[in-house]
Amino acid sequence: MKIFNEPLCTGMRHLTGATALAAMLPLAAMAQEVTVVMDPIASESTLYWETEGAFMLPSLQGLVGNNPETGKFDNSGLASSWETNDDLTSWTFTLKPEATFSGGWGKVTAADVVHSVNLHTGDDSRLSGIANLRAATVTAVDDHTVRFDFDSPQADFLFLLAGRGVLAIYSKAQFDAEGLGGYKTAPAGTGPFVYDGTELGQGMTFSAVKDHWSGISADYDTLSIRFVGEAATKLAMLLSNEADVVSLPRELQPQALDEGFEIIRSTQGASQTALVFGALYTDPEGGELPQGLPWADVRVREAMNRALDREQMLEALYSGRTEALPVFTMDEQYEGYTPELSAQFDQDYGYDPERAMELLAEAGYPEAFDNPVIPIILTSLPGNPEFPLISEMAQAFFESVGLQTEMREMDGASILAARRARNAPWVMPVRNAPIRPAQLGLQVYFSKVNRPTAYVDSPEINAMFDQLAAATDMDERDALASDIFTMLYQDYSHMPLAKIFAEVTVDPDSIESWTFPGSTSSGLSHYHLIKTAD
Amino acid sequence: MKKYIGTRLIESLAAILVITILVFALTHMSGSPVDALLPQDATQDQIDALVAQWGLDQPLAVQYLTFLKNALAGDFGDSLKWRGYSAMGVVLDRFPQTLLLGGVAVAISVIVAIPLGVMAAMNRNGPLDRGAQIFSLFGQSVPQFWFAILLIWFLAVALQLVPTSGSGSWRHLILPAIAMAWFQIAALSRLTRSAMLDVLDAEYIKLARVKGVREARVVWVHALRNAAVVPLTYFGVLAGSVLTGSVTIETVFSWPGLGWVAIEAIRARDFPVVQAVVVIFAIIYIVSNFLVDILNAYIDPRVRS
Repeated sequence: MKIFNEPLCTGMRHLTGATALAAMLPLAAMAQEVTVVMDPIASESTLYWETEGAFMLPSLQGLVGNNPETGKFDNSGLASSWETNDDLTSWTFTLKPEATFSGGWGKVTAADVVHSVNLHTGDDSRLSGIANLRAATVTAVDDHTVRFDFDSPQADFLFLLAGRGVLAIYSKAQFDAEGLGGYKTAPAGTGPFVYDGTELGQGMTFSAVKDHWSGISADYDTLSIRFVGEAATKLAMLLSNEADVVSLPRELQPQALDEGFEIIRSTQGASQTALVFGALYTDPEGGELPQGLPWADVRVREAMNRALDREQMLEALYSGRTEALPVFTMDEQYEGYTPELSAQFDQDYGYDPERAMELLAEAGYPEAFDNPVIPIILTSLPGNPEFPLISEMAQAFFESVGLQTEMREMDGASILAARRARNAPWVMPVRNAPIRPAQLGLQVYFSKVNRPTAYVDSPEINAMFDQLAAATDMDERDALASDIFTMLYQDYSHMPLAKIFAEVTVDPDSIESWTFPGSTSSGLSHYHLIKTAD
Repeated sequence: MKKYIGTRLIESLAAILVITILVFALTHMSGSPVDALLPQDATQDQIDALVAQWGLDQPLAVQYLTFLKNALAGDFGDSLKWRGYSAMGVVLDRFPQTLLLGGVAVAISVIVAIPLGVMAAMNRNGPLDRGAQIFSLFGQSVPQFWFAILLIWFLAVALQLVPTSGSGSWRHLILPAIAMAWFQIAALSRLTRSAMLDVLDAEYIKLARVKGVREARVVWVHALRNAAVVPLTYFGVLAGSVLTGSVTIETVFSWPGLGWVAIEAIRARDFPVVQAVVVIFAIIYIVSNFLVDILNAYIDPRVRS
């Protein structure tokens, strides 16, 4: 935390000692700046819809918030309440009457919401998941009520509007007066910060709003977000007191801890990681089915799962600061969570090389397969620094039980191209996936909806997924999602690894605490809850 | 001389043309832009729209000619990472930062390397010469990024004399400029030393000494002027590599110049900016070499023939 007060600092040069400082403190309010250093974001823009949604300016807000402790949807956004009809095709939000835009652009109204939806669903929108919002008909019922209507049930609509959302609310009044130019230079928001400016490639600066309409304000004056790509430089910034909060790669965290810095992690899991079998397709509707893949045999898949010493892997990858994950895309925050699967995970998936070898022998591996060699993808993907290590460790474990493997180095775009061509017969770590509601997660990875890039395309799961997508009764949905997770689990359809938390390394001399739920794409949010040290 | 300039100009333009072909080919060899630009869950409509927007459904030759036509007009499309900027707009916006850093680094290189090389030659096999050679050895063998991190650790973290990274003041310039100049000083001082040693053995130098010309004048005027051709030739490479070789240094120091833009654009899969940066880098190299060739020809008539 930097202290900025030029006259005061100048005066301090002539004084020494804590007594002098303490004596001067009451004389002038001290401007406090909190500097947060993070990886460069994919798109730098004040126009949220022009980005992939990885970083919403702290000055902007959506309709729905996330509880910082539990991550659950709450009314800390712009809507005080909401309701849906029985078949989940219509969602109505009541806006907080006191919600106000910065810069004198007035109160938030339903017209602002409709205007923002139109902006976000335009042709230039690059937001991931925007298709669901595009399907909506949005109506301003009155000044403080707005309704979204859909043709089909939208059980996870709140997720789209909360932390990892696709809708930030902009001021229509500002747009009418200044056009997009106003949004680019000084976008008015409703959050507890006001956007001050962007220094291209360097970062963004925000001023905390004192007496914010919500009654909650940051206990510091300026939030400076710096984008730094080089890990060693980020560590140096922390060590030299240039930064207060740094998103540091895990391999450098021990060094920071040794120097007395501390790690703060999100209260809830932010993402999940797993190894997946490519081309595990059994639904002929999806196209030609792959032939002769060793992992088409469930015994081989179980053997590969049992070959992995997850405890050792997660210790090496994340210093053990993770939670076991029984099924990729399942999380206790959302429907379908099945605690029994967690309870029996060790028994069914635990490290057991002897059992793995037995299973391979039962499957007739390698003789029974035309090509028993299992390709493992080695790739480097921004935001997923542990990918290569996951692949290398998996290869070592697989080979230790007699599996034949080969490492294939590929770039992310080529992998995606191969998957789009349904030609990805290999094992690979899956991109750290944000934790999402069951239907959204299953849709991306394990259902026909995401053909041809889904990892699993099975007629049984597809049929159950159709039921889930159509179901509007919450208990029924929960049961259906649970059934799908159980099927994926019992079928050893992938190799789940861990639930990962978002972590930042902080200077305890300047930062006392920060409570954030890990519910945004970057994992970071609730900047106003950064508590500075006395 | 005119014929020589004309020939070199044609060669340079041909090289730029080849570079555009390479940039275009590499862009397509690294996979379809569709796979790089669209998210995993992109719909077929989104894919079709992008294909139409980029003209990816056209024959490759047509795509290249369109690319070349647009490139000649400086139009590489809009940046995907820095929204609201054209790709060339980003490059031009950041170019002054690279020029500033590169200019300071070149100045440091020349100011340190030339005297160091001359004095090393004057003290052949003496302590100064050995010291300079050890310095050159380290300078050319120590990886630039590692040296940059060492500088940060020592001067910014341990001593807290300068900022670790970023830009905005002359203090931010110190570490990246030193890190960038380090390698060039090593190379340039070795070349200068070597050229000076050749010249100092020449007959006309001995004659000057016999005639009683002051030693300082013999060395710094008569010898250095003739020895300068070699480092001058290298200067073209130096200017080009300092401007374009800024990728590592700018990344480590988070200096927002062209090198930093290149890395960030690659990370963000910002194809238009990557293409614009590569073409600009190539042009910088070719132009600086062209100018040095002309200068060489002007100084040394033998080159023209």
